[in-house]
Amino acid sequence: MGGQTGFGPVPVGENGEPAFAADWEARVYALAAVLRRRGLFNSDELRDAIERLPPGQYLGASYYERWLGAIETLVDEKGLA
Amino acid sequence: MTYQPGAVVRVRNTDPDHHTRMPRYVRGHTGEVVAVLGSWVLPDDNARGVAQPRVEACYAVRFAAADLWGSGTHTVTVDLWESYLDQP
Repeated sequence: MGGQTGFGPVPVGENGEPAFAADWEARVYALAAVLRRRGLFNSDELRDAIERLPPGQYLGASYYERWLGAIETLVDEKGLA
Repeated sequence: MTYQPGAVVRVRNTDPDHHTRMPRYVRGHTGEVVAVLGSWVLPDDNARGVAQPRVEACYAVRFAAADLWGSGTHTVTVDLWESYLDQP
């Protein structure tokens, strides 16, 4: 998917810091940061995995639900599950 | 680095079957380079685990919203890698 219109703005808090609607969203963000820093995947692989989510899942998911779905995809594909 | 600020460029009208950071809404459209952003790993390669991903110049390219969507008086500036662009 990706590049679709009508999803509204990406949530951004003050000073460009991530804005979280719930604690689990912050944990998903932190999980992605740790896995990226440890070299499991890079930012482009994460974006690619978001775009490869099944269309129904992608369209029905919130911003950080998509991040979580992409992390699950990459952990599985790279054999860390 | 091929383009300088002020250069007019056209985004390639292609439909790659892999990840890219070339948004569909600018493909085939003409814009103006407003800044050269240095050299960065090409996301198309980096997303696929290419061992030696290409490193290319990246440009901020400004488009007229009316050109992209048929209306609007504002502009839209998109960061685009060298291989996404052609001379018009």
